[in-house]
Amino acid sequence: MRRGSIVQLIVIGVLAGAVASAVALIPNWLPSSASREAGRIDFVFWFVTGICIFVFSIVAAVSVYSVWKFRVKPDDDSDGPPIHGHTGLEIAWTAVPALLVTAIAIVSAIVLAKDDAAGANPLRVNVYAQQFFWSFSYPGYGDKKSDVLRLPVNRSVVLEGHSKDVIHSFWVPEFRQKQDLVPGLTPTLHITPNKVGTYPLICTELCGLGHALMRSRVVVMEPAAFDKWASRKGA
Amino acid sequence: MTTLTHEHEAHPGRQGPAPPPRGWRRLLYPGLLRAAWMAPLFFGIGCGIVVLCRWWGGWQPIWFGEIIVLVGALIAGPIGFLAGIGAFDYWVRYAIGSPTKPEDHSGHGAYSWRDYFRVNTDHKVIGIQYLTTTIFFFLAGGLLAMLVRAELAKPGMQFFDNQTYNGLFSVHASLMIFLFVIPAFAGLANFVVPLMLGAPDMAFPRLNALSYWLLPIAGIMMLSSFLVPGGAFAAGWTGYAPLSIHQPLGTIFFNMGVQWAGASSIMTALNFLVTIITMRAPGMTFWRMPLLVWANFTTSLLVVIATPFIAGSQFFVMFDRVMHTHFFDVAGGGYPLGYQHIFWFYSHPAVYIMMLPGFGIASEVISAMSRKPIFGYRLMALSLMAILVLGFSVWAHHMFVSGMAPWLRVPMMITTLMIAVPTGIKVFSWLATIWEGKLNFATPMLWAVGFVSMFVIGGLSGIYLGAVPIDIHVSDTYFVVAHIHYVLFGGSLFTIFAGIYYWFPKMTGRQYNEKLGKLHFWLTFVGFNLTFFPMHLIGTQGMPRRVSDYAPQFANWNLFISIASFALGASTIVFLYNMVTSMRRGAPAEANPWRSLTLEWQVSSPPPIFNFDEIPQVVGNPYEYGVPGARHAVLNGDRAATETEVRSR
Repeated sequence: MRRGSIVQLIVIGVLAGAVASAVALIPNWLPSSASREAGRIDFVFWFVTGICIFVFSIVAAVSVYSVWKFRVKPDDDSDGPPIHGHTGLEIAWTAVPALLVTAIAIVSAIVLAKDDAAGANPLRVNVYAQQFFWSFSYPGYGDKKSDVLRLPVNRSVVLEGHSKDVIHSFWVPEFRQKQDLVPGLTPTLHITPNKVGTYPLICTELCGLGHALMRSRVVVMEPAAFDKWASRKGA
Repeated sequence: MTTLTHEHEAHPGRQGPAPPPRGWRRLLYPGLLRAAWMAPLFFGIGCGIVVLCRWWGGWQPIWFGEIIVLVGALIAGPIGFLAGIGAFDYWVRYAIGSPTKPEDHSGHGAYSWRDYFRVNTDHKVIGIQYLTTTIFFFLAGGLLAMLVRAELAKPGMQFFDNQTYNGLFSVHASLMIFLFVIPAFAGLANFVVPLMLGAPDMAFPRLNALSYWLLPIAGIMMLSSFLVPGGAFAAGWTGYAPLSIHQPLGTIFFNMGVQWAGASSIMTALNFLVTIITMRAPGMTFWRMPLLVWANFTTSLLVVIATPFIAGSQFFVMFDRVMHTHFFDVAGGGYPLGYQHIFWFYSHPAVYIMMLPGFGIASEVISAMSRKPIFGYRLMALSLMAILVLGFSVWAHHMFVSGMAPWLRVPMMITTLMIAVPTGIKVFSWLATIWEGKLNFATPMLWAVGFVSMFVIGGLSGIYLGAVPIDIHVSDTYFVVAHIHYVLFGGSLFTIFAGIYYWFPKMTGRQYNEKLGKLHFWLTFVGFNLTFFPMHLIGTQGMPRRVSDYAPQFANWNLFISIASFALGASTIVFLYNMVTSMRRGAPAEANPWRSLTLEWQVSSPPPIFNFDEIPQVVGNPYEYGVPGARHAVLNGDRAATETEVRSR
């Protein structure tokens, strides 16, 4: 390969990488982060994005360069060079992707283990889903009931999911955490909110006619305000 | 070889089947007329059995609509239709001991358009039947998608109620998967694979005909569910229990439609396996098979092993509903997640069923139109086998948030991410094939290269979904919708179009319009990216999928997506116009317009009724472009180069 074509390839690759990076950085891909788990999940997201931009740039460079340089007129009847393979290249593009996905798997497994562990003195909350609304109860506060999920900031929360009819799914985009609630099972989900605010709670498993409107809110409060609310009688 | 030529010559002047008898006897002649009275007759028999059983068992009410629909309309009626059209004639004759008609090949080949509407045993006719039928359901599924996008153009409810909306996207997905992508690939392979192998037909031509005729039954069943009380099945194409158990009547149309389509897939796959294993021309070793044949070999293995699982899952759901069993009903001791495990044990391999044949098509087109041997042929074939094996070990990555045993997530993530390796090998090998080639960007090549680029994006978004922490965030959002459309539209559909344009001259004997073909590609390519790329963004930002209404923050993007999707839908009109006009008035095609080496291009366009006047002798690899004097096969008495001679060169 001539030096000129290597330069051209690299230029196309850098350009493709720049376009991909712009697509990755300019729009707001992720909603604001409001939990410790979200911070870790976002790290995995950007780690994978970095690897994907790298792979994308290489593929884009080779394909754009080929389409640009190796196109011939329809009446050109000649054949290309009969290259049947290249063992070194084939080993490389088997081994390098294997290493990259292994790295992604390790990072993901570590984050998953951290996100699945409850912190000290967790707050337990029962989440009840039914067609088509959410309700919550706080066993630590005399089984206090609520239609809105109120949580104290900076305290580990263990949500225990219950479904009364079909499968629903608990999702708060700002927490990045999601869990299906399945009749007959009581799956748990760990969240440590770290930002006071009100966030949407969305059902993400098709549950019937009212699925699109099966929403509620999560209110993350200062611990004192939460204690005051939780100790009050009634909903 | 000789017997074949003899049979052929025994009927020199044959022009298709004997004309049907006149008068009332015509009612007994296999065909649509006989089907028109046998289907209602069998429906009546089905109803009779239900009523008799209920009366005998003392169950009230004796006339129970749901069971009558199930047994009469969804099982007995279709069997009557198949019997009427003549799919079982030979076997029934044989079974009852009456003399079978000696095979005179009267059911072979097409001499007028009518021959496409009867049970035909010619793999080329069946291939065309498959393709036209699947394109019909592709249009139906596409129109449903347009309706979905119309509803989503603005937040709030516009045109449909929730049940109808849920039905629209459920039927859209089911038609596209079970009645378009899977059978369209089967149709292309039906036409091409026997030719590529140097075989006169498939191994079991009557089974082949039957597997085609099951398809329209499945498709009409799914579409007609819109007409029954309560509307179409509305639990998504995934039909998760327990929701799907407690849905209106339309759900059993899905449960049974999947059975008919699945039976069709399994029969075709068995047929491909036997054909590929036993009917390769002399000299065609496994390592000389074109990659399309390899792809259909692996796909058929996937179909045969996996499809019974979805059949089981749908039967269980239906039994829970109509027979009050408790497979997935907690109150009766059932296990809802069991459904998802069984369902995805089919439906993840199904993703590869919908992609591997496309890999095969891409390999054929890219090699021939780059004028270069496929790069790393053996590794390309082996990576198909690797995907086949790994494909069975990843199903639970659809269930990372489902509440299944948490420990299962990490092993499933590792196998899922590992599939990127054989898939990457294929992508890099295609790129290495076009490198330094002589690229002819005729329409099939545009679709094939377009496929590679779109599939890379779909593959990379698959990495996000494979990584459990990210999947937990984006699972069941529009990110997933974007991903599946990049792999099934940018992947499967692009390769189906590549295949249709590539083999159009071979199938019809006419050349398609190149300008319209290119226009179709560019409109689709741009419309596709404008429609589906933004879905990644609204997904990660928080828009769940399968909703008829959404938060106002997503309004602008959804309007944009809807407008782009209408443009994308309109691009199909160019395709249809091109196909219809070129089929009727296109320029006559040469035998080998792409100067390909594989066997289907070494016979006339369209091929003779029994494909090869003489069985070809395969002497080399199928992609030896640029190798001086290399040949894939010797045929038509041209014995200039025998195997030993080629080897001694």
